[in-house]
Amino acid sequence: MKPGIKIVLSLALLSSLSFGGESFAMSDADRAMYTEMLENNPADILVESGNELLEELVGGDAALAAFYKVTEDDLAKYIAGFPRYIEDFKQVVTISQSLQGLMHKHGHKPFKLKSAKMFELSSYVKSIANGENINIDINANKHIKKSYAMGENNYMTPRGGRGLACNSCHSDAVIGTVLRTQPLPDLSSKGVAVAATWPAYRMTKSSLRTLPRRFQGCMKNALLKVIPLGSEEMVALEVYLTHQAKGSEIAIPGLKR
Amino acid sequence: MKKTLLMSLVLAGSLIAADYSSVIQHPDASKLIQKDLLPPAKHFKMPANCVTTNSESIARGAFLFHNLNGKKAKKNPPKGLSRKQMKPGKTYLPGDKIPSKQYGNCIACHDIEGSVGPGNVGPSLVGYKKMFVDSGVRDAQFVYQQIADARALNPESLMTINLANGLFSSSEVCDLTSYILAPK
Ligand code: HEC
Ligand code: HEC
Repeated sequence: MKPGIKIVLSLALLSSLSFGGESFAMSDADRAMYTEMLENNPADILVESGNELLEELVGGDAALAAFYKVTEDDLAKYIAGFPRYIEDFKQVVTISQSLQGLMHKHGHKPFKLKSAKMFELSSYVKSIANGENINIDINANKHIKKSYAMGENNYMTPRGGRGLACNSCHSDAVIGTVLRTQPLPDLSSKGVAVAATWPAYRMTKSSLRTLPRRFQGCMKNALLKVIPLGSEEMVALEVYLTHQAKGSEIAIPGLKR
Repeated sequence: MKKTLLMSLVLAGSLIAADYSSVIQHPDASKLIQKDLLPPAKHFKMPANCVTTNSESIARGAFLFHNLNGKKAKKNPPKGLSRKQMKPGKTYLPGDKIPSKQYGNCIACHDIEGSVGPGNVGPSLVGYKKMFVDSGVRDAQFVYQQIADARALNPESLMTINLANGLFSSSEVCDLTSYILAPK
């Protein structure tokens, strides 16, 4: 990992630890493990194997830039603007979906969105934008506008077995309060820039996870019906939360509890 | 002429070549979400004899309050509560997986006497009866309604819904109400 990235990452983590309050969530042993992992994020190697996958499958960054119709110089900035509407897909797509298109173009059967290989590949591709600020533009066209509105609506609407919305646990009103020993995290750029730090290594799952996969975790725990990866609704949620973190510096892979 | 023909060929070519919409995964989730939405907020009238000093009812209320679901609960549930929840109208064959019963997990958001690791998303319910009911600020009907469907009292409520969506039965909401109002 480049040293610059490491510093951004540790700052992001420190700030996420400090709002949690000393007495909650983490024992000294946990904290020691965190510090150790900061030095050496277990997901670094997985992101690196994503890099190798891209080379094997299509030949590397240059092919990716060509697929996105940008120069290699502009590649990082372009990636920092996902999810985005791409005419060739006729819809707003995430990085992972765009990579399914790329694989198809090069004659490969696309990895499933839920597969570990796709997590590695898409994490690498997002990490190309490390150091860039998230620059999603929700006013770029009517498609992304509509997607943002759908995401906001899904975020706010209570549903499921317990009648909860994402907003029930992630609104300004409850940020920093504690849900059963877990401090409720801020998902916007005002605090921890969540969308800029996923994909991340999740210590409780011992694996590399993506943002929509994290959404699915919350849905499952809070008894909201889990909606599938890649659905318009799931992409819309990602658009909504990515916009909340607009302007934040991308630092992949993140490190999460 | 030649130029425009060439241009349109190029254009047509790129249009045909580039349509990845059927290549990527983009399943439909709209029906799934539609079915998962809640019925409108509803006012409930607390049944007669709902609040009781019956120790079995209070024990069930306490268990519902402090536990998440039948799978996670460490202790066995008290009489009248099970770990599993048969879905009404569904028949189960031998070997079928019967889902865990979901409990209230109120402790995730509320402190109360004897709690372990309570959250503070909602107000503390320690000393609730003395402070809020004996003083006349709240009554049992209020507590029952809050648990059944908090939206009827506050449309912006952040609390879980327990009766309007069929998570609990009315008598389970009474068990919880009895527990909150019981001396501890
Ligand atoms: C019942 C409460 C609850 C609900 C409802 C809920 N969440 Fe969460 N969420 C949490 C808690 C608690 C955490 C932190 C858990 C941890 O630290 O492991 C969390 C963490 C997250 C994170 C990771 C934050 C980080 O630091 O990177 C994301 C992203 C997230 N939630 C999104 C959502 C979305 C989207 C929804 C709705 C579909 C949702 N949540 C619904 C309680 C909830
Ligand atoms: C996700 C968080 C959450 C959960 C879980 C939760 N509550 Fe609440 N509760 C709240 C909040 C927030 C309030 C404040 C009023 C409101 O928003 O409706 C509240 C208010 C209350 C009140 C009214 C206090 C008063 O007099 O003003 C009672 C009683 C109560 N809750 C009981 C329960 C019970 C019983 C359960 C479990 C079945 C439960 N709560 C689960 C968040 C929660």
